[in-house]
Amino acid sequence: MTRVEHLRNLALLGACAVALAILPHALTVYLRSFVLFTMMYVVLALSWNIISGFTGYTSFGHVAFYGIGAYACAILVADYRWHWLPTLGVGAVLAAVVGVAIGYPVLRLKGPYFAIAMLGAAEGTRVVATVWDGLTHGGLGISLPSAETSLETYDAMLVLMLLTIVVAYGVGHSRFGVRLNAIREDEVAAEALGINATLYKLTAFTLSAVFPAVAGGIQAYKVLYIDPPSVFFVQITIAMALMSMLGGKGTVIGPIVGAMLLYTAQELTWVNFPTAHLIAYGLFIVLVARFMPRGLMGFAIDRGWVRKGMIH
Amino acid sequence: MERSDVRSLYLLAAFLVCAYAMPFLVGAWAGTVRLDERWLGNLATVVVGGVMQGGVYAMFALGLTLIFGVMRIINAAHGEMVMMGAYLTWVAFFYLGVDPLLSIVLTLPIAFVFGVVVQKLLLDAAVGAPELTGLLITFGLGLAMIYTAELIFTTDFRTIPYAPGTVQLTSAIAVGQNRVISFVLAVAISTAVYLFLKLSRLGKAVRATALNAEVAMVCGIDVRRIYLITTGLAAALAVAGGALVSIQFGFNPETGVLYTLQAFAIIVLGGRGHYVGALIGGLMLAVLENLVSLMVPNGTAMVELAAYGLMISVLLIRPGGLMGVKEG
Repeated sequence: MTRVEHLRNLALLGACAVALAILPHALTVYLRSFVLFTMMYVVLALSWNIISGFTGYTSFGHVAFYGIGAYACAILVADYRWHWLPTLGVGAVLAAVVGVAIGYPVLRLKGPYFAIAMLGAAEGTRVVATVWDGLTHGGLGISLPSAETSLETYDAMLVLMLLTIVVAYGVGHSRFGVRLNAIREDEVAAEALGINATLYKLTAFTLSAVFPAVAGGIQAYKVLYIDPPSVFFVQITIAMALMSMLGGKGTVIGPIVGAMLLYTAQELTWVNFPTAHLIAYGLFIVLVARFMPRGLMGFAIDRGWVRKGMIH
Repeated sequence: MERSDVRSLYLLAAFLVCAYAMPFLVGAWAGTVRLDERWLGNLATVVVGGVMQGGVYAMFALGLTLIFGVMRIINAAHGEMVMMGAYLTWVAFFYLGVDPLLSIVLTLPIAFVFGVVVQKLLLDAAVGAPELTGLLITFGLGLAMIYTAELIFTTDFRTIPYAPGTVQLTSAIAVGQNRVISFVLAVAISTAVYLFLKLSRLGKAVRATALNAEVAMVCGIDVRRIYLITTGLAAALAVAGGALVSIQFGFNPETGVLYTLQAFAIIVLGGRGHYVGALIGGLMLAVLENLVSLMVPNGTAMVELAAYGLMISVLLIRPGGLMGVKEG
């Protein structure tokens, strides 16, 4: 891409940022939190996309990092009386450490083995959070001291989302991103060309672990109550994967569009069909994966609306 | 075997010894291990019970390993198919008054057709695609199954009272009748499937497709048809597993997820696509789980951790599992 196009994209992002920053003052509390959660899913899908879309290692347990971030925030705020903002940093560091610790051994596995090992790791983390009463209050969950938080958390999530978009865009258009794509297409060939695949995979994995942790922390402070089943919920991982796939994984704009569309659709069906919406959701996952595994971006590329062979 | 292959096998063996020693050590530390006669009797009972349970695990793991071996697809809805089997048996028992064991005859054809339809409509598209496609398709299917079941049956735990007596093996060891019956049936069904795969023409075609689909195609095997049969058979095994689970344990629509992960731990341990490996893995996992629930405090949650820990460790030490298919 040319410099002009990069500047145009940056200007677009800036315009969105300003609009989103002004928006909450005009919204009801419900709509404000709706926008907040949409932004959260943009963060989640984009960071999942760094390891699974760019690098091709399908992580089926990314919710582990989200949960770790949520617990870091909740424990420090509720039990140690911290201000909530620094806890986000603690969560991010913790997720990075856990990301390296899990990623270093598990990233040696390929394809379905990696996916299932990550699923096991996430479920294992949930069990640990349930069993370790002394730290996490076990299955009872943690209630945070209540406060009116909708504006603070909204702004924090907005900043996080902008940061994630910039980082994902930067990764996608850098040499680093090209190398990740090379690993995705053919890891052996990439290594033969001198790419240190282990290091790159691990960096991508750790990077993709940090943002969900911060998002988890903000979410914990927003909803003021967490317990293991709700923050280590398998379906959050599925949502990350599905949103990326719906928009087009391996791109930057894809997961953003996918997250906005899917979260809106989820909210609408949830409001209108309280009992059957989860069945519909399951069928929707099936349909997307069955009929458009390349997502909307693939659709657009096929019709010549966007250029082929680039990261958008 | 190459030297590195042998070494990883030894490593795995050493790890398994440690894994089995773990509950004893934790138990000794927490004071739940007492070396009197009554406790030893309990231990023996638990081990025998684990073996019985393992037979059932092995049976539905066999279905998962079939699909994975033939098509390289992880069927994330496998546990939900087990759950479906449990509910079919429950409906047959309470509304039609059919004996749970007899109802297998009724439910197996239904399950086979279900598997064939799933394969035809959904999974054919995922063969050869990146693993995410198959994972998401089956996961979505599983979700739809869970919530359909919740809509019909609610989230209440159901049980089927069946053969509540116990079988006294020795003076100290007693096993529930239902467990013995399940074990015998599971072994019978698994053996039948195993013999089908080893001896019949069709079974050989399935195995040939698992080894190399392209060569199988060149040899005149209709690979698409083999896929249909594989998934049908796998669904039937899962549903039969569900029937046997339903007479031993309580179940609700959400119990399926754990069965998927257990089945996966089993086939990872045994070696993917390896049918005897599934049996060994099933027995080992069930015995380990029972040891954990006997000795480790907070047992029920820790049982889950045993399955996940075992799975990840085996993947890291020796991705091919005990029966060693060399592949990462």
